[in-house]
Amino acid sequence: MSLSDLVLSLADNKQMLGLRYAEWATRAPSLEADIAAAAMGLDDLGHSRVLYGCLEPLGADPREPERESDAGAIRNLAYFDEPWTEWSQFVAANAILDTSFTLMIESCVGGSVEVLRHRLRKMLMEERYHFLHGRSWLRSGIDNTALVRAWQEALEFFGPPDGEVEQLHREGKLAVGPAELRTRLEEQLETKAPKVTVHWNLWDPKRRRTAEGAIDEHTFGMLRGLEEKKYAPPTAKQAAS
Amino acid sequence: MSTGYKRVSGDAVEYEVFARKARVDPLHLVGSVVAPDADLAMAYARATYDEERWCEMAIVRKDDVIRLWSPGET
Repeated sequence: MSLSDLVLSLADNKQMLGLRYAEWATRAPSLEADIAAAAMGLDDLGHSRVLYGCLEPLGADPREPERESDAGAIRNLAYFDEPWTEWSQFVAANAILDTSFTLMIESCVGGSVEVLRHRLRKMLMEERYHFLHGRSWLRSGIDNTALVRAWQEALEFFGPPDGEVEQLHREGKLAVGPAELRTRLEEQLETKAPKVTVHWNLWDPKRRRTAEGAIDEHTFGMLRGLEEKKYAPPTAKQAAS
Repeated sequence: MSTGYKRVSGDAVEYEVFARKARVDPLHLVGSVVAPDADLAMAYARATYDEERWCEMAIVRKDDVIRLWSPGET
């Protein structure tokens, strides 16, 4: 596993996080929360574009051709496989997973790789408001199921104690390793991670998750542009064929 | 889907949002947001009023504004 693989994982997760946020732009508990969901969605989709753009300068692009046909080739956490049905899922993702991604980006910005040091810095400013939003809603108290699942997947995203993130940290490419990432997440959220067990023997290093599965068919179709084609007028379909 | 979030209604207060585009401009009122705490009010203000390139944005609890007089009282 390389730094490019980690950046691609960040990019895919940011893209899915942005899409899932956007799905709540008319379903959040208040108008302000609707607008925040839309704004954070746009931010994260923009961040994913920047991260994809870093792959070429980093060297070998780890995006495989299977990404066009197999949803399982997209490197998102299982948390984003299906649309969220409860606001508590939104809040847990916002507070815990979004912050986990930000901490990893901070680690890239503090590392020795120039393209990441420069291009990812601006994201950290925007993410400050995602964090304030997530932490505030988290303090109000949410369903424990979503919370525990988000923590579990955040720890899976950071990776095993002696895995490639730790190796990249030792090489100086990342400012911190998995243990420090977890500590910083707990400090920022002013809480301890719940007791969760990660079965590292089941962990997929590319997708940074232990669970099988993939994003839902509708979302995958949308990512590939198929949903857009489905609603195109017949004349456009004829022209395309 | 869960409903009935008490912090949207009972706990929430109004915050006025001020901003300016250039250092030479005075801060002026651009709108308001309703939120249960200052953290969330900051996130809401940024999300709602970020369509322009402000060089400064600030929020203040509406309750903290001391009014000398109001419309119709002069």
